Amino acid sequence: MSSKSINLTLKVWRQQGPKAPGRLETYKAENISTDASFLEMLDIVNERLTLEGKEPIAFDHDCREGICGMCGSVVNGRPHGPQKETTLCQLHMRHFQDGDTVYIEPFRARALPVVKDLVVDRSALDQIIAAGGFISVNTGQAPEANSLPVPKDKADLAMDAAACIGCGACIAACPNAAAMLFTSAKISQLALLPHGRPEAAKRALAMLAQMDAAGFGNCTNHKECEMECPKGISISNIARLNREFLKAALASAEEIPAATKKE
Amino acid sequence: MTWVLRTLSTSIGKKQLMAVTGLLFLLFLATHLLGNMSIYGGGPAFVAYAEHLHALGKLLVAAEVLMALALIIHVLTAVVLFFENRAARPVKYAVDKSGGGRTFSSQTMPYTGLLVLGFICVHLATFSHHIVDQTTRNIFQIAVAVFSQPVYLVIYLVSMIILGFHVRHGLWSAFQTVGANHPKYMPFIEKLSIVFAVIVAIGFGSLPLIILAMR
Amino acid sequence: MLQLDAKIPGGPLETKWDRHRFDLKLVNPSNKRKFEIIVVGTGLAGGSASASLAELGYNVKTFCIQDSPRRAHSIAAQGGINAAKNYPNDSDSIWRLFYDTIKGGDFRAREANVYRLAQVSNLIIDHCVAQGIPFAREYGGLLANRSFGGAQVSRTFYARGQTGQQLLLGAYSALMRQVARGQVKMFPRREMLDLVVVDGQARGIVVRNLITGEIERHTAHAVVLATGGYGNVFYLSTNGMGCNVTAAYRCYKKGAGFANPCFTQIHPTCIPVHGDYQSKLTLMSESLRNDGRVWVPKKAGDKRRPEDIPEDERDYYLERIYPSFGNLAPRDISSRAAKRMCDEGKGVGPTGRAVYLDFRDAIQRLGQAEIEARYGNLFQMYERIVAEDPYTTPMMIYPASHYAMGGLWVDYNLMSTIPGLFVLGEANFSDHGANRLGASALMQGLADGYFVIPNTINGYLAGTKFAEVTESHEAFKESEAEVVAKVKKLLSIKGKRTVQDFHRDLGHVMWEYCGMGRTDEGLTKARKLVADVKAEFWENVTVPGSHTDLNQSLENAGRVADFLEFADILLLDALARRESCGCHFNEAFQTEDHEALRDDVNMAHVAVWEYAGEGKEPIFNKEPLNFEFVKLATRSYK
Repeated sequence: MSSKSINLTLKVWRQQGPKAPGRLETYKAENISTDASFLEMLDIVNERLTLEGKEPIAFDHDCREGICGMCGSVVNGRPHGPQKETTLCQLHMRHFQDGDTVYIEPFRARALPVVKDLVVDRSALDQIIAAGGFISVNTGQAPEANSLPVPKDKADLAMDAAACIGCGACIAACPNAAAMLFTSAKISQLALLPHGRPEAAKRALAMLAQMDAAGFGNCTNHKECEMECPKGISISNIARLNREFLKAALASAEEIPAATKKE
Repeated sequence: MTWVLRTLSTSIGKKQLMAVTGLLFLLFLATHLLGNMSIYGGGPAFVAYAEHLHALGKLLVAAEVLMALALIIHVLTAVVLFFENRAARPVKYAVDKSGGGRTFSSQTMPYTGLLVLGFICVHLATFSHHIVDQTTRNIFQIAVAVFSQPVYLVIYLVSMIILGFHVRHGLWSAFQTVGANHPKYMPFIEKLSIVFAVIVAIGFGSLPLIILAMR
Repeated sequence: MLQLDAKIPGGPLETKWDRHRFDLKLVNPSNKRKFEIIVVGTGLAGGSASASLAELGYNVKTFCIQDSPRRAHSIAAQGGINAAKNYPNDSDSIWRLFYDTIKGGDFRAREANVYRLAQVSNLIIDHCVAQGIPFAREYGGLLANRSFGGAQVSRTFYARGQTGQQLLLGAYSALMRQVARGQVKMFPRREMLDLVVVDGQARGIVVRNLITGEIERHTAHAVVLATGGYGNVFYLSTNGMGCNVTAAYRCYKKGAGFANPCFTQIHPTCIPVHGDYQSKLTLMSESLRNDGRVWVPKKAGDKRRPEDIPEDERDYYLERIYPSFGNLAPRDISSRAAKRMCDEGKGVGPTGRAVYLDFRDAIQRLGQAEIEARYGNLFQMYERIVAEDPYTTPMMIYPASHYAMGGLWVDYNLMSTIPGLFVLGEANFSDHGANRLGASALMQGLADGYFVIPNTINGYLAGTKFAEVTESHEAFKESEAEVVAKVKKLLSIKGKRTVQDFHRDLGHVMWEYCGMGRTDEGLTKARKLVADVKAEFWENVTVPGSHTDLNQSLENAGRVADFLEFADILLLDALARRESCGCHFNEAFQTEDHEALRDDVNMAHVAVWEYAGEGKEPIFNKEPLNFEFVKLATRSYK
């Protein structure tokens, strides 16, 4: 690893609160090691802003190893930046050139309103899970783990879908701000496993209804979600959701439930 | 039957309407093109094909009604989707780059769709037996007359290219939407989208040129 | 002095838990809805506890600092979860899991707790599979296992390199199901800033709404703390940036004993430090040691590329020193061995503080495709950070602060020294002794949340008289006033140094003097240095912004302020433990071949620290550890 230092011009979205107007502000990021991560670069800028008596840029982050799903901004028009299957915290500055201008904007969607600067409210995603993204098993009810074999290919596909970190990049990337990849990942995971089948119809209808109520756009198969997903989740999950939904709506006795409105 | 309406008004329901009607159009395009290929057998063969078609009588009417219904559903749903999708992102990005998913075709669907709709109107106005009197001139003569006007010729040719772009996203997209995404078949369907789009554009696009050449 | 009654049931080890559950009082189903329980934290322990308590019918209020309960740092656990299923037929048993765990902890944990952990381990796997967790499977469709450090059997269940994520999302989905039912009320982006104690009982908490800055009061009949560990006291660690000691530390200040704070685990396989701006260290799962071989050049100061160093000039030191466990030696042992190699000048990489983890032989043996299938995501993660391809160049690794075995003291019921305050998961001290084995943290967090607390909390609720307490109670007012004063104080200092700067200073001191090797002089010096940092912090820190909206600097300032106070108890505890055991290695207590030298006669106890008031030395208490069922043996992995 050969490290050097680069200087960047940042154009960062600053917005005091959900209702306040926002704008792009210009900052200099100087002497940034190319071994630093993108968030460490923001840390350095924030340290300097703090010492200058200004308010640092608010951005969500936690694990900094690409798994918690907390971080994520749109960097030069790409959610989580230009690297494939990489979260913002795992994006390193070696992928930028000295003198670059870098635009940093929050994930934008009506259903993910800005809280402050680059921080957005993703509670709509929790509500989609609450609507049915689970298997109804109480602690203590479970049968012996190996009593129900799962074909390895199905288990692997379920794991591919379950890798979703709930960051919302799929929504940010979608030209329609649709949440289909997120919703389909959970529905697929549980639909692929025999344990999830008993509730499959109910789940597909309920989660879809909740997704619709949150104000996301509609999927028009642009595939941007799959391209920008830091975990490489495939749109074949969306096709599976489409199937599961059709099956549930046309062939099961389940009704589409009313969605809970956001508080 | 409220469950039917409820189902069709969900985001996936609307997509199904688009996909199913879209697949109908694709089927129509295929048969229409196949039929029109009779032009390669010469003017009389083309006329004979048209007469056979009209001889279908009620069956043809049924098909026309079906296509008209499909068109209305496809267009109205598209309008709803277009505005819903725009509203889903009220603040646009200052910089918006593709991650490699969207294509020119996928991004222009509403617009190519609108243009194709315009073309259909022109096309019906110039060729439909409901509008154009086909008793004094046969369909070949009508075609020669229409395509002899450079404006119509250009409109037709450009429209076929636009249609090609619409089909290029529409075909695989319809399969994806009805849930037919299989690791073994999807790559083929995606390629088929492009091949079929090219066939549609070139196939239909060649017709006026052949007709003019036969004039 | 604290009353440290561990309430361990008598009788044979195998039936203690059954008997205890029978002896505990029950709350009948219709009475459960009359109780409110607060759960703080939504990791494996907090998430599973919230869901399970709500399933029983309790009214649960759950709090987390992140935007969603799914983000808790349990999500980052990679390798796996242990259970005594013995599916591979390799002579595993509940007893062996119990024994391995208590031995792995260097005999500084309670037999009864650890045995119970091993007993419920199998139920966890059953439950998680039923929740739809996509564990790795064999071609026949049955569950697969792999081996992990500190064990000679394959008992680890895993979901690629994302086991923690999958288990957490399982607990999260169960939690969200209860949120939808209305049985759990979820409060995300809330930070617990105080425990409210009324008549000696934990009766609520005071939290700051991190979005609006409002201070909120919440009452309950019991408070369940599941707020994780304090590894970030070292600044650089594998913990998430938000992991902190604040909730636990505020409970300590309200009278909860803090047990064994000096038992902090340094994980052997992390990506080495490379710069001052670095904000965290990334763990490479211990499972890599199944196939990777750890080595350094035999000659000190050898600067050749690893590929150019011939086989006979490499020292596979773990295989050499610990032939029977080899590269799978437990974490504390492996970490110290790496440190020793680097201290001898054999370290590699630009800083000389790294050793190689080499997959060359495994790739030759199994093929690159198989290695990719097993560790693909980890290799990818490594390449992203270091920009070197581990398939062709050996990985460089170095130990880093990872897990806190120490935590708030709890009895067998997981209740702290404050009645009504229960502590689960990493936040308590109970099951790992002086060192935690790989794949045991997930097991413990879920055991506590799914299977222990839903049983033991009944006993407390049924057997306790509760006075009517509302949010306007005097204790809440006092708590809130204190919290507000501290917040305002932090904003008013307006000094010249940032919070992160102080945190970095604290971390340097702690890592230098209280990391893998400790000495009395170093620890004493560190106490002084930490006191200096703390004094300067309160004079010279600058916290921009206001307290009425999202202010991440302010959140951090509060956490670092608590770390600065807490660090002193950690150092004190390290000084007081006159032996080396597990992760605690005092250089004065070692064998001839540099292994930890325990003192079972004088030191077989839990050290419990009690808050004595502002500016006063904490009071030392001890709970003796009685070993009735296992023989204390020198821990050997040779």
